[in-house]
Amino acid sequence: MATTRALTRLAVRRTAVPAVWTRSFASVDTTPREPIAKAGDPSRPTVPESKTSTIKEPTPAKEAKTKTFHIYRWNPDEPSSKPRMQSYTLDLNKTGPMVLDALIRIKNEVDPTLTFRRSCREGICGSCAMNIDGVNTLACLCRIPTDTSKESRIYPLPHTYVVKDLVPDLTHFYKQYRSIKPYLQRNTPPPDGRENRQSIADRKKLDGLYECILCACCSTSCPSYWWNQEEYLGPAVLLQSYRWIADSRDEKKAERQDALNNSMSLYRCHTILNCSRTCPKGLNPALAIAEIKKGMSFT
Amino acid sequence: MASIVRPALLRQACNAAPTKRMASNLASSTMRHASPLSRRPMQSAFVQDALPKASRVAAFHATGCRPILPPLPQKIEGTLNDPTPIPDPAPTHGSYHWSFERLVSAGLVPLCVAPFAAGSLNPAMDATLCALLLVHSHIGFESCIIDYFPSRRVPGVRIFLTWLLRAATVTVGVALYSFETNDVGITEAITKIWHA
Repeated sequence: MATTRALTRLAVRRTAVPAVWTRSFASVDTTPREPIAKAGDPSRPTVPESKTSTIKEPTPAKEAKTKTFHIYRWNPDEPSSKPRMQSYTLDLNKTGPMVLDALIRIKNEVDPTLTFRRSCREGICGSCAMNIDGVNTLACLCRIPTDTSKESRIYPLPHTYVVKDLVPDLTHFYKQYRSIKPYLQRNTPPPDGRENRQSIADRKKLDGLYECILCACCSTSCPSYWWNQEEYLGPAVLLQSYRWIADSRDEKKAERQDALNNSMSLYRCHTILNCSRTCPKGLNPALAIAEIKKGMSFT
Repeated sequence: MASIVRPALLRQACNAAPTKRMASNLASSTMRHASPLSRRPMQSAFVQDALPKASRVAAFHATGCRPILPPLPQKIEGTLNDPTPIPDPAPTHGSYHWSFERLVSAGLVPLCVAPFAAGSLNPAMDATLCALLLVHSHIGFESCIIDYFPSRRVPGVRIFLTWLLRAATVTVGVALYSFETNDVGITEAITKIWHA
């Protein structure tokens, strides 16, 4: 072990590059600097403030691109006050490109009471779903419109019970998701006793279905779901239902279809297609619903 | 535990403070604020005061509130981890209904085009067109009623409208029947109005 370490050290020394090219972790300048004051001198003058600072003052922005954001505010701790729109102005030059960056910057620097959900900031968790400029989308996938003359308006997902500010209550949505039994249901063990295998063609049928992150953008954009969300399942949950109906390994296809075979659960879809238009992941819930209907027709 | 105890201690301290002060200066105007906690909570310290208030907080509702059918308070059935109830399968209102509706809609397309191409064909075709139009519009209006008048919210209105629709459909059916048998028929009538 010791010899290895010694060899490594040797190899490093042999391939060492000139100090100009190397990057150190802290920036150390090699030119000698005058000491601020002689250490032991009691009568040394006080150091002026301008000399103690290690970083430069931020220069004021030359061309500030200020944009106004109107954000829905409602606080459950003040139940008598109505929801209101609060305006924040940000310099886009100092803000990241996405709406979530702007929201995080507002929360960090302007108003810590602003409440919203966020987690992965890259469109894989579905936490930051909200209504931005009239479109349900993920704040982390939505670029800030660079047109500074127009003001952005940010609301929580429409027709949801609001917990606070931009946080909707998705309890019912998740309960509906649970009602479609989103897991593999089989009674027979796999033939080789090891895995439930699937052909490549069967696996291809699940593309465009399994990517759904359940952000509820599509369901809350559907007018049918607005009016009848107690009974109608909504596009996101129906897409997941079709994901299991289409799965060749699942053996409860008939039961799954029977659960949807009533007036409200599935057939409140009137092919409005808001779901496919708004999906931030580019999926097509309306097609999945149409496939469910096609599979159940004339049966 | 400390966080539970602390508000109680604080409240006791606040209640105790004015009594001491009142003993010394009974006529003071602090009588109005019996306790510091009973005052209206201050506005959040984070709300900016740089902007004028009117531009900062825009009124959310520009028009007066008219609650036509206000949303009910949120009600969650069962615990948070229970699934929503799954309704019993009812194919007559589900898949059969949908298939029938699509057949009627698809059948209406050639029936509407054919009289344009060949003129009024014969009374049987005319009667079929009338019947399918009637069924199609009945299904459409029924769907509107189911969508906009949920029985969990307005059960009386739902029943009334359902029966109103049935009555209207029967009335129109009888009217169309008499129009077909006693008059020129629907295709011929549209042709006459078109050329009038």
